[in-house]
Amino acid sequence: MEDYLAIANEWGLWIAGGLMVAVALIQVLLYYRQLFVAAKTVDVTNEQLKQAFRTGAVTAIGPVLAIFVIMVGLMSVIGGPMAWMRLSVIGAAPTELTAAHVGADAAGVPFGGEGYDVQAMAVSWWTMAINGVGWLVLVGLFGHTLEKGREKLGGGDTAWLGVLSTAAMIGVFGYLNTTNILRLGGPLIAAITGGIAMVLLLQLAKKFPPIKEYTLGIAMIIGMVFAVLLG
Amino acid sequence: MSDSSENTNAGANEQYDLLWKRPVIRIGVVTMLIAAVLSFGPLLYLYIVHGVSIDIRTALTAWGLIVAIFGAFYIVEPVSFYPILGLAGTYLSFLSGNISNLRLPCSAMAQEVVGTKEGTRQAEIVGTMGIVGSVVVNLIGVTAAAVIGAWLISVLPAVITDAFRNYTAPAIFGAVFGQFAMREIRFAPFALAIPLITLGLLGLPVWIVIPASVFGTVAIGRVFYKKGIVKPK
Repeated sequence: MEDYLAIANEWGLWIAGGLMVAVALIQVLLYYRQLFVAAKTVDVTNEQLKQAFRTGAVTAIGPVLAIFVIMVGLMSVIGGPMAWMRLSVIGAAPTELTAAHVGADAAGVPFGGEGYDVQAMAVSWWTMAINGVGWLVLVGLFGHTLEKGREKLGGGDTAWLGVLSTAAMIGVFGYLNTTNILRLGGPLIAAITGGIAMVLLLQLAKKFPPIKEYTLGIAMIIGMVFAVLLG
Repeated sequence: MSDSSENTNAGANEQYDLLWKRPVIRIGVVTMLIAAVLSFGPLLYLYIVHGVSIDIRTALTAWGLIVAIFGAFYIVEPVSFYPILGLAGTYLSFLSGNISNLRLPCSAMAQEVVGTKEGTRQAEIVGTMGIVGSVVVNLIGVTAAAVIGAWLISVLPAVITDAFRNYTAPAIFGAVFGQFAMREIRFAPFALAIPLITLGLLGLPVWIVIPASVFGTVAIGRVFYKKGIVKPK
């Protein structure tokens, strides 16, 4: 057990993982630059772009703290470099852990248990990689064809496109909440109080616009506090 | 209702294609495929440095098993999230992951704060910038976790780390649902009923439940829109 984790934390793997993190960073920088070029064609000002960036960044802080906590747990089972690399790209922690387990199953040993050696770890890593590649390759090759689907769904009616976007968003989050509704207890309390807090905060933000950027972050903390107290 | 800031003339369309869509696709395709190749970097390291290789049968078995679990999502998720994320948002989200808990909420909040009209090009540009901001914070976060994570967790009280681990996602999902339910409250019961019935009652697989929830609610929206019950804002 100690053995494979020692190898999993070798410095050479930080480099191998770092290359992947670098691609994610390069992609985001290229889009950042392109956004300033494109914004001019649709009458979005640089100030609005900066406001959008700031809002995205501020809203991300809460969820990223959660990823931070989860990643530290993941580091103890798959090593630092792999946890860093895998959580920088598609596939959240549960997905990666599932893949690591499935790899161990394919190698015929229990994940992290008796007989889980470097050989078995390699199968776990292979499974995590090939799973992520499913999304990367399909979106990479066919992502642009989805635009035609949206155009067809929208039919050139901008008013309907607005309604469609709202409906799609409510639909996705209806599904995401369902799992927590069915789990009852803490997650359900977090969802309900987080939802109510958000509605109230957005009303409040109409009177005090400066707080608008922080509404989702504050709502998240309120939901978490209630879940801890009542869950 | 007609929005003067929405460019619909041919010249503007061409500009938008040239300065946004085409570069977005070029950047997206190249980065996604490079990332796919680099996914195997650690395995190459194990092979070169430690002489570890995997026999082809084990590799194929593992691949088959994992595709059986997640394969449907490779297709269902991009198709279901595209109407919300848009083109660049899709490339960003499916490279950097964490779509439901980070990308969708950050895109929506950016649009909310800047005040763009949903479904417009302005909204797509602003939403994409929200996602860009979230990816930057995300990368800083995981890199910090790699460096000081283990130490920081050991000094924080367990109640705080547990709260983040267990309740962040539920609280955010509830909050974003509340945010959008406010815009069109009539969609909310349907958006909850469809997954509650298909998942909770019928126990259908998630790869059916996600598109059923998204496109089911969109279909309801279409009926309401056609009947004039729902008015665009």
